[in-house]
Amino acid sequence: MSEQPQAAPGDKPANSFSTTSHGMSPDDSEPLVLLELIQRMKVRDVMTTDLTKVPRSATMHEIQELMRKNKISGVPVEENGRFFGLVSIDDIIRALSGGYINDSCSEHMTTKLVVLEDDMPLSFALRYFERYHYGRFPVINRDQRLVGIICQRDINRTLLRELSREFNRLESKAKGVDADTASGIYVYREFPICKYDFERAGKASNQIKKLLQERNIAPKIIRRIAVAAYELEINLCVHSDGGVLTWEIVNGKSEIIARDAGPGIEDVEWACRDGTSTANEWIRSLGFGAGMGLANVKRVSDSFEIYSRKGSGTTVKSQINIAEAQQKQV
Amino acid sequence: MTILEIAEALKAEVLVKGEGLDRPIKNVVSSDLMSDVLVVDDDDILLLTSLASDQVLRTAQIVGALGVVVVNGKPLPSSMVNVANDLHMTLMTCKLAKYQANIAVYEALKQNG
Repeated sequence: MSEQPQAAPGDKPANSFSTTSHGMSPDDSEPLVLLELIQRMKVRDVMTTDLTKVPRSATMHEIQELMRKNKISGVPVEENGRFFGLVSIDDIIRALSGGYINDSCSEHMTTKLVVLEDDMPLSFALRYFERYHYGRFPVINRDQRLVGIICQRDINRTLLRELSREFNRLESKAKGVDADTASGIYVYREFPICKYDFERAGKASNQIKKLLQERNIAPKIIRRIAVAAYELEINLCVHSDGGVLTWEIVNGKSEIIARDAGPGIEDVEWACRDGTSTANEWIRSLGFGAGMGLANVKRVSDSFEIYSRKGSGTTVKSQINIAEAQQKQV
Repeated sequence: MTILEIAEALKAEVLVKGEGLDRPIKNVVSSDLMSDVLVVDDDDILLLTSLASDQVLRTAQIVGALGVVVVNGKPLPSSMVNVANDLHMTLMTCKLAKYQANIAVYEALKQNG
């Protein structure tokens, strides 16, 4: 596999970029259904094709506005079908802090790119995300034209859609098993959360709240669970490199687990205090990052646990005893 | 006072009529910091904010707010109307600055006991 290419910043088109060699296989430990799915599906089945593109003359500020308006985190730079590079949220943040937000993007766009081909199996894309830790990959066709962008969110969304039938089957099975539990309810949901994906942040918690309302749980208990889920979802979105929020009701207890693979928290005790945050100005401008999230999760939870290590991942667990709280209210 | 009565007091434009229009507003939270809103435990609140983003609506839904007023006459992204419709959340805008809007709501609530 070749490490990438490289167009000189701003001048050479990026459609001379090479892609990595074929021949990788997915991890043998993957479940069979998933394995079959990621081998069968192609990058083109998953990628986003409705792209917002800019010419090289666009300023970083114009792109920032485009990202804000369209709620996207990466904008390809393309002219007459020739792909020159990509401007990401990270590039914008660097431009803001470096004071060159009004410069043209040709000077500051990322040109050292790894690209995927649209007819590659999805398993290749997964390997690339694992290997390069990039938020997204441009996708080109055989004519070296940019045809789409793929991010982990696209993959997660597609895989979740395909796997939903399997989840439903398991859920129905579990319902029968747990019919005599304290609340008589069994629910399991898993939500992938992407870094800086403010377009979707909060949707998982909104869905959790809706599911609780459908099950006639007392509003005050719903609020506690929804607040815990929302704070953890926002945390995954703004502080982690992306992760998964899982929610389960079993034996009358709601358990939310937010798990990510990095970057980890150096001082967990400090992070759980009210008013402490590592959020940047951009996150604060969106109304978050006041450093009250973890403390608030702890406040609404009956049981709160957090495990983290700098350079590694973080896992936060919030448990709320629905059956007990319902009984107290009666 | 119901949310539509408060809308009238603020001369606000109601963009989406959600659920709970007949319920009285029990408290008003005025903040641009969603983290602050998430620690409020009151029911049936009205959220006043100058932040025009989808997350305002999602936050309001999580805490069980009856509606959101975006102050300062800010133009709202079209996605906000869609999200408000999805969440059945009342959404309105008013031209008053946040401070003036707070006073107007306070006076209106005071007059109505």
